[in-house]
Amino acid sequence: MDWFDDWALTLAVFTPLVGMAIILLIPRAEEAAIKVVALLTSLVTLAIGVGILVDFDFGNTAKMQFQVDKEWIPVINARYHLGIDGISLPLLILTMVIVPLCIIYSLDHFPEPHNPKAFLALILLLEVGMIGTFVALDLVLFFIFFEVVLLPMFFMIGVWGGPNREYASIKFFLFTLFGSALMLVSFLALYFLSKRSTFDISTLASFEGAGITRGTQVLLFAGLFLGFAIKVPMFPFHTWLPDAHTEAPTVGSVLLAAVLLKLGTYGFIRIALPILPEGAQVWAPWIGLLSVVGIIYGALCCLAQRDMKRLIAFSSVAHMGFVMLGIATLTDFGVNAAVFGMVAHGLITGMLFFLAGSIQHRYHTREMSRLGGLLVSAPKMGWILGFCAMASLGLPGLAGFWGEFPAVLSAFEPSRLANGILGNTDSTLWTFRTFMVVAAIGTVLAAGYLLWMYQRVGMGTPKPEFEDAHIHDVHRPEWVAWTPLLLGIVVFGLFPNLIFSITNDAASSITRAFSG
Amino acid sequence: MPINYFLILSAFLFCAGAYGVLARRNSVLVLMSVELMLNAVNINLIAFSAQAQDVAGQVFALFVITIAAAEVGIGLAIVLLIYRNLRSPDLDRVEQLKG
Amino acid sequence: MGTPYFDYHALAPVIVLAAVALLALVVDFVWKDGGRRAVPQIAGIGMLLALIPVFTLAADGETRVMFGGAFVVDNYALAFAGFFLIVGYVAVLLSYDYIDEGDYYRGEYYVLLLTSVLGMVVLASARDLITIFVAIETVTLPTFVLAGWRKHDIRSNEAAIKYFIIGVLSSAVMLYGMSLIFGLSNSTLLSEIGSVAGGDNPALFAVAIFLTLAGFAFKVSAVPFHFWAPDTYQGAPLPVTAFLSVASKAAGFVAMLSVVALGFFASPNSWQPVIWVLAAASIVVGNLAALRQTDVVRMLAYSSVAQGGFILVPLAVSGDNDAARAGFQGVLVYILIYAAMNMGAFACVIANARRTRSTEIQSFSGLGRSNPAMAVVFTVFLFSLAGIPPFAGWFAKFVMFRAVLDAGTTAAVVLGVLAAVFSVVAFFYYGTVIRRMWFHAAVDLGDTGSPRVPGALVAAMAITTTVVVVIGVYPQLFAKIGDLAFRAT
Repeated sequence: MDWFDDWALTLAVFTPLVGMAIILLIPRAEEAAIKVVALLTSLVTLAIGVGILVDFDFGNTAKMQFQVDKEWIPVINARYHLGIDGISLPLLILTMVIVPLCIIYSLDHFPEPHNPKAFLALILLLEVGMIGTFVALDLVLFFIFFEVVLLPMFFMIGVWGGPNREYASIKFFLFTLFGSALMLVSFLALYFLSKRSTFDISTLASFEGAGITRGTQVLLFAGLFLGFAIKVPMFPFHTWLPDAHTEAPTVGSVLLAAVLLKLGTYGFIRIALPILPEGAQVWAPWIGLLSVVGIIYGALCCLAQRDMKRLIAFSSVAHMGFVMLGIATLTDFGVNAAVFGMVAHGLITGMLFFLAGSIQHRYHTREMSRLGGLLVSAPKMGWILGFCAMASLGLPGLAGFWGEFPAVLSAFEPSRLANGILGNTDSTLWTFRTFMVVAAIGTVLAAGYLLWMYQRVGMGTPKPEFEDAHIHDVHRPEWVAWTPLLLGIVVFGLFPNLIFSITNDAASSITRAFSG
Repeated sequence: MPINYFLILSAFLFCAGAYGVLARRNSVLVLMSVELMLNAVNINLIAFSAQAQDVAGQVFALFVITIAAAEVGIGLAIVLLIYRNLRSPDLDRVEQLKG
Repeated sequence: MGTPYFDYHALAPVIVLAAVALLALVVDFVWKDGGRRAVPQIAGIGMLLALIPVFTLAADGETRVMFGGAFVVDNYALAFAGFFLIVGYVAVLLSYDYIDEGDYYRGEYYVLLLTSVLGMVVLASARDLITIFVAIETVTLPTFVLAGWRKHDIRSNEAAIKYFIIGVLSSAVMLYGMSLIFGLSNSTLLSEIGSVAGGDNPALFAVAIFLTLAGFAFKVSAVPFHFWAPDTYQGAPLPVTAFLSVASKAAGFVAMLSVVALGFFASPNSWQPVIWVLAAASIVVGNLAALRQTDVVRMLAYSSVAQGGFILVPLAVSGDNDAARAGFQGVLVYILIYAAMNMGAFACVIANARRTRSTEIQSFSGLGRSNPAMAVVFTVFLFSLAGIPPFAGWFAKFVMFRAVLDAGTTAAVVLGVLAAVFSVVAFFYYGTVIRRMWFHAAVDLGDTGSPRVPGALVAAMAITTTVVVVIGVYPQLFAKIGDLAFRAT
C-alpha cells in the first residue's frame, strides 16, 4: 500500500474540502442531497482515518509516519510537509470521529436560521482546518490550518448562535487573531535564528534550540505561549471561551470543546516544547502556575453559574488546566497524561455539550434553577448525564480519570531541568509539588460542581412549569451520535493503555531535551 | 553670481507659493500659487544647469513648464465646474464631504 | 550623439497603449453611435494586447537599456508593467456598466484611463528623475479629470478639486526636491545619483530626499499626507475610486521604490527614518480612523491608508544591505496582493451600490441572505484585507513580517510589533461589514436599484477572487515574481 502511505494524509485533509465544494454546488433547496453528501464526506474521511490506523506502525510511534514532503513556497522555504506520530494520531482520529457524529446529530434539528447548506459546508471546512493542524509539520502550513479553523467557527457562532452571538463571535475571533499574530512573528523569528533557515518542525526540533540564546528563546516562547494559550484557553486568556460556548450552537460547542481547544495544547507539545527547550524550562513554572490557577478558578466559576452550558464551559477551563499542568512538568509522563487528557476531555465534554444542547432543545432553557427531574422526565438521558458527570469528575474506570490523575501525579516529579517559581532549579520540586496539591484540591472541587450540576438538573422532580410538558427521551439520531462517545469513555477508561501505548514513545522523544 | 542667490530666491518663491496654496481660499489664487512653486523649481533647475554646464536641467525645466500648463488647464476646468454648480470660486464653500 | 537607440520590442507595451488610446479617441469621435459601445471594448482589449509584449519580453529575460539609461526594461519593470495592465483591465470591467448608465461622456473616460495606465507602464521602466516626473504626471493628470467625472454633482467636483490641489502641491514639493538632487549630483539618472549620494553636502541631500519622498507620500496617501484621500474617494465615481486606490497608489509606491532602491539607497540615514515615520503613522492613524466610519467607501479609504502603511513597512526596514532584498520583495508582493483584494472589494461595493443606491455600511445588512454569492465574495476580500489565511492577504503580511525580522534592528522590531497589533485592530472594521452582511437582517432603504450584478462586474470579481484564493493557497507564484524582480539589484 505504498500509494496510501504517500497520499493518506493529503486525502484526509482535503476530502472534506471536496465535500464542501460539492455541497456549495448543490442548490439550497435540495436539503436531502446536501445532508447525504456531508455525511458521506465525513464518513469517507473517517474511513481514511481507519485506513491510517490499520497501516500505522505501532512499533515505531516516535517516528513521523505517512510523511509527505513537497515544495510549496520555495522562495520562503516553506514546504508542504505532513506527517503523524503517536501524539497526533489519537487527536487525528478523535477529530475524524467527532465530525460525522456532529453531522448526524444535527441532521434533524438545525439551529435557527436553519440553512443546512451553509452550516454543513462550514463544518466540513472546519474539519479541513482541524485535521490539517494535527498533521502539518511545517510552521507556515501549521499557521494556515490553525487560522482556517477560525473562519467557520466565527460564522457558526455569529450566524447560528444565541442572543448574544455577535459579541461572542467577535470576541472569539479577536482573541485568537491576536494570539496568532504573535505566533506568526515568533515562527518567522525561529526561521531566521535557527541554524538553517527552515520552517520544518521536525528539523527545528532536531536542533533542540541550538544556536538560539536563552534570552531569545524565552522571548520567542512567550510569543508562542500567547498564541497557543489563548486557544487552550489558559487563565487569564480564557474569557472568550464561556461566551463562545454559551452562544454557539450545540454542534459548534461540541467541536469547540472536543477539538478546537486541543489545537492549542497540541501546539505546545508539537512546537513550543521541542523547538525551544530552554524557553520551556524557564516558562514551565509559570505555565504550571497558570494551569493550577485555571483549575481552581474554573472550578469556583462553575459553582457560581446558573446556565448549564456556561458551567460546562468553565469546567473546560479547569480540565484544560490539568492538561497544561501535565505539559508544564516537561516529563514524558506529563505529556502522556496531557494527550490522554485531551482525548478524554474531547469525548466527555463533547458529550456534555451534546446533552446540554438536547436539554435546551427540549426545555428551551439552560437555567439550572428551572431544570430538574431529568431522571423522571427522560430517564435515559438522565442516566447518560449522570454517567458523563461521573466521567468528567474523574471517576476511576472511566476515561476522565486517566486524563486527570496522571497529570496531577506527574507534578510530583517534574523534569529536573525545569525551573522553579524562583527562577532556578532548586525550587523546582517544591514548586511543582505545591501545584500538585492545589490541583488535587481542584479534583475535589470538580466533583463538587459536577455533582451539584447533576443534582440540580438530573435529580428531584420536574419543576411545575414543565410538569405537563412531554419531554422526549433520547431519540435515534442522538443514540447514533452518542453511542461511540460513550463507548469511548468506557473503553479508554478500562484500557487506558490503548492510548498510552501509542503516545509513550512519541512523548519520550518530545521531552528528550528535558530528560538530562 | 554665486548659485546661492538663485537658491535663496527660489526658496523664497517656493515658500510664498506654498503659503498661498495653504492659506488662500480663492481657487484661482491657489492655482497661481502653485505656478509660483513650480517656477521656483525651474529657477533651481536652470541655475544648477548653468553652474554644472549640464543641459539636463534645462530639459527638465522645459518639461516642468509644459506639464504645469497642462495642470493649470485641468485646474481651471475643475474650478469652472465648481463655479457653475455653486456660483462661487471660494474653496470654503466646497465642503459637502465630511473631512 | 546621433540618433537614439530604439528597441521597439522593449517599447512595444507603451506603443500599443498609446496607439489604442488614440484609436479609442478617434473611434469615439468619428463613429458617433457605435463608438459608444465600441470604446470600452477597445480599451479592454488594448490593455490585454499590451500585455502580450510584456510576456514576450519576460520570456526573453534580457535587460534592455535605452535613452542613456533613463528607460530600462528589466524584470522589475515588466512585473509592474504587467501588473498595471491587468489592474487597468479590471478597472475597465468595473467602469463598464457604471459609466454606461450615467449621463457621462464615455469615449473620453476610457481614453483618460488608458493614458493613465500608459503613464504607469512608463513609470515602471523609468530610471531617471525627468522620466519619473513625466510618467507620474501622465498617471495623475487624467485621474484629476476622472475624479470629477460626474460634473453636475458638486460632491464629484469637490473630490476633483481636493485631489487636484493636493496633487499639484505634492508634485511641486517633489519637483523642488528633485531639483535639489539634480543640483547636488549633477545628474538626473538614478544610478548616478546613487553613486554620488549627496557628495559634499549630505545635509542638503537629506532635505532633498525628504521633499521628494514627501511628494510621493501624497500620491500614496501616507499619513500625514493622507487627508485628501477619504473625501476624494467618497466623491469620485466608484470605479475611479477603485482605480485611484489601487493603480494610482501603486504608481506612487513604484516611484518611491525606484528612487529609494536605485537612487538613495547608499544614504539610508536620510530616507529610512522618513519612511519609518510614514509607515508607523499610516498604520496607526489609518486603522484608528477606519474604525469610526459609517460609509464603506470612507472605511476603505482609511483602510487603504493603513494598508499603505503596511506596504511601507518592508521599505522602512530595508536600509541594511542584507535586508534590502527581502524588503523590496515584500513591497512588491504586498502591492500585487493589495491590488487584487482592494479591486475586488470595490467591485463588490459597486455592485452593492447598484442594488441599494447607497454606500453606507448599513446597506450591506442581510446581503448574506439576499445575495449569498456576492456576500461570500466580499467576505473573502475583507478577510484577505484583514490578513486571515487561506486568502492572499496573509502572505502579504507574512512577507512584511519576514522583512522586519530579516532586518532585526530595534526600529524594525518596533514597527513590526505596531504592525502586528494594528492588523488585529483592522479586523474590527472589516469585521463590522462582515457582521452586517451575515448576522443582521436587511434594512429597508426605500429607493432600491437593480439587484442584478452585471456581467462585467462578475468578471472583475471572478478575476480578483481567483487571484486572492489561488495566491492564498499557493503564494509561490507572486513570491517568484518578487524574487525575479530583485535578483539583479
